[in-house]
Amino acid sequence: MITELSAEAKEFGQQALRAFEATGGDELVQRAEADPAARDALTGKVLAELGAWDLEPRSDSDSLEAAAALCRSAGYWALPYPVAERLSRPTDVDADGLIVVSDTRPAAAISGIDIDWAAVTLDGRRSRVSGMTNVEPAFVSHLDLTPLDGSGRGDVALALVLPCWTLLGMLDRALALTIAHVQSRHQFGQPLSGFQSVQFQLTDGEVERAGLEMLAKYALWSVGEGRPEAVDDALALRMAALEAAEVVFRVTHQLHGAVGFCDETTLSWLSRYSQPLRRLPFGLSATRDVLTRRIGRDGLTGLFSTDRATVS
Amino acid sequence: MSEFDDFRERVRRWCADHVPPDWRTAQTGVSDAEFAAFQQAWFAELHAAGFAVPHWPREWGGGMSVGEQIVLYQELAAADAPRLVLAFVGIHHAASTLLVAGTDEQRQRHLPAILDGELWVQGFSEPEAGSDLASLRTTAHRDGNMFIVNGQKLWASGGAHADWCLLLARTDPDAPKRKGISYFLMDMTTPGIDVRPIRNAVGDSHFCEVFLNDVAIPAANLVGAENAGWQVAQETLGAERGMTMLELAERLGNAGFGWLVDECARSRSDGMRPLDDGVVRDRLAQFEIELAGLRGLCRKVVEGHDSGSVGPADPSIVKLFYSELLQRMTDFGVEVGGLPAHTVLTKSMSSGWESGAWALDFIGSWEWTIPGGASEIQRTIIGERGLGLPREPASA
Repeated sequence: MITELSAEAKEFGQQALRAFEATGGDELVQRAEADPAARDALTGKVLAELGAWDLEPRSDSDSLEAAAALCRSAGYWALPYPVAERLSRPTDVDADGLIVVSDTRPAAAISGIDIDWAAVTLDGRRSRVSGMTNVEPAFVSHLDLTPLDGSGRGDVALALVLPCWTLLGMLDRALALTIAHVQSRHQFGQPLSGFQSVQFQLTDGEVERAGLEMLAKYALWSVGEGRPEAVDDALALRMAALEAAEVVFRVTHQLHGAVGFCDETTLSWLSRYSQPLRRLPFGLSATRDVLTRRIGRDGLTGLFSTDRATVS
Repeated sequence: MSEFDDFRERVRRWCADHVPPDWRTAQTGVSDAEFAAFQQAWFAELHAAGFAVPHWPREWGGGMSVGEQIVLYQELAAADAPRLVLAFVGIHHAASTLLVAGTDEQRQRHLPAILDGELWVQGFSEPEAGSDLASLRTTAHRDGNMFIVNGQKLWASGGAHADWCLLLARTDPDAPKRKGISYFLMDMTTPGIDVRPIRNAVGDSHFCEVFLNDVAIPAANLVGAENAGWQVAQETLGAERGMTMLELAERLGNAGFGWLVDECARSRSDGMRPLDDGVVRDRLAQFEIELAGLRGLCRKVVEGHDSGSVGPADPSIVKLFYSELLQRMTDFGVEVGGLPAHTVLTKSMSSGWESGAWALDFIGSWEWTIPGGASEIQRTIIGERGLGLPREPASA
């Protein structure tokens, strides 16, 4: 498996972080919220300059790692562009981006991004997004779908994994912001970070984040190798990502105090814009349900599995 | 038959006659002024029935037994009556402060006025004094019979509507920090007060910043002795906590839990109900157990207050348990409600902390583990005062 992204992918991720910062950093999502139609104008240029759309994560392993690093950097700034979704585009259908949708009420945070979107359900039914209605907060739209074919099973895993990298970037940032906050905020004559209860809450968040990072690399490897259990691995990653997000945002909000719920703080924006990633196409209990049904009593294959015939 | 049956029936009939059946719809998306007018009118109705301040002493208009209070709150919750949001600080914090530490003149001036609708706000927290409240920097300098106040208060809930403010300010900058604070009653119409609402994540603005610029407060508005404000605040806030929690626990146990069960009983697009899932039933059963525990704890604190048997950490235990239970229940509401729950982005004003708008309720529930003594502070109090553990090292 991948335990470290390649040096090139990491460097690409760093470049993207700096480029997003230079383009507006935290202000990008704030400006996009004020005018969702401007999402593309705000971020499209920097993404094109980075060469984001030249990446071919479905056919090239270097591109796959670079795509993951790019999504993570986009998450760090809550970049108001569906980078992971666009990078998930299928190769055998003429579409610019791909979204995994649930069977009921298909929705995605793609309003204002006017490209050819395709959608796929977990069982591989593909469709074209023919319209978007009811724009809701955090750029979420309900999708009108026109059925295409049933050949999308192989598309699903990557389209589940890359948004988890975006969420990972958001958790990186939430923890970094909170570590900085507890070091600068003084109460009782010392920085909050001096209190062990504060340190322990942050370590709980960091354990979740670090575990997610490792699973994200594992699932990325599984997708890149085209392993038969790649969708299971992607769902396991999604479940871990949602659980980690709950812990990390719980801790970071609590330690920010009341101000973390005001838009003066970046945490407030991050936490709000993490919601579509955490709820669509399905939330924690639905993800857990889907995964459980798929793997039944067999469990996940993993790196160290033994031949089931010998243990059963 | 219980001794409260007659009383329960009376409250039930009153609710049937007086709770506006359409108040939730009517209070959704209304302006701040309409919300305030509704709150004032509802308070007046409750007061006319003798239900607004049941926890006050009889001579001031209250006098209900703890059992009657519980029945009252149960029935108000069961009838989905609006909550007293704006009057909350007045009938609880201000009244408790005046009753415990106020002068006769102060009580005569304010307790009847509160019953007539006088609204209060708490001016405690500051930008640099949140959990460490005693490090507050707002100053009050004596000038003859007046104190001149300068500083800034933060997270003052309901500040935009308040007539009066419970204010903590530093009167002796040279004393140890807890020894140099005084407690004032501040008229919000005094020149020099600037209230600015802060929009929060739920989209409302009941939090306010309050800027104080050469605000003159008569010395007669001191509560307790000069420089003894910290002790006054400690005594009065502890006493008030049990009373407020009694209502909130019954509201959560009746209305809140009821909303949650309703949510679980609603058929989804596939025809299934969450309630048909064993995991969901287990979670509901767990909440029911925890609610029973919470209600018992609250009752113990309130009754113990009358008999003097409240443990030093008991109010903190109640607050900690309530706040985290509220978060767990509203979080579960979001989970069960699924995506549609995230699209309900308006909440009826005047509703409880749990309204059935689960996403907003969950975000709002964070107001319980952060303000009024964050969970970290409550745990410290329970450790130190309840369990007798050593004080946290290195606190200045």
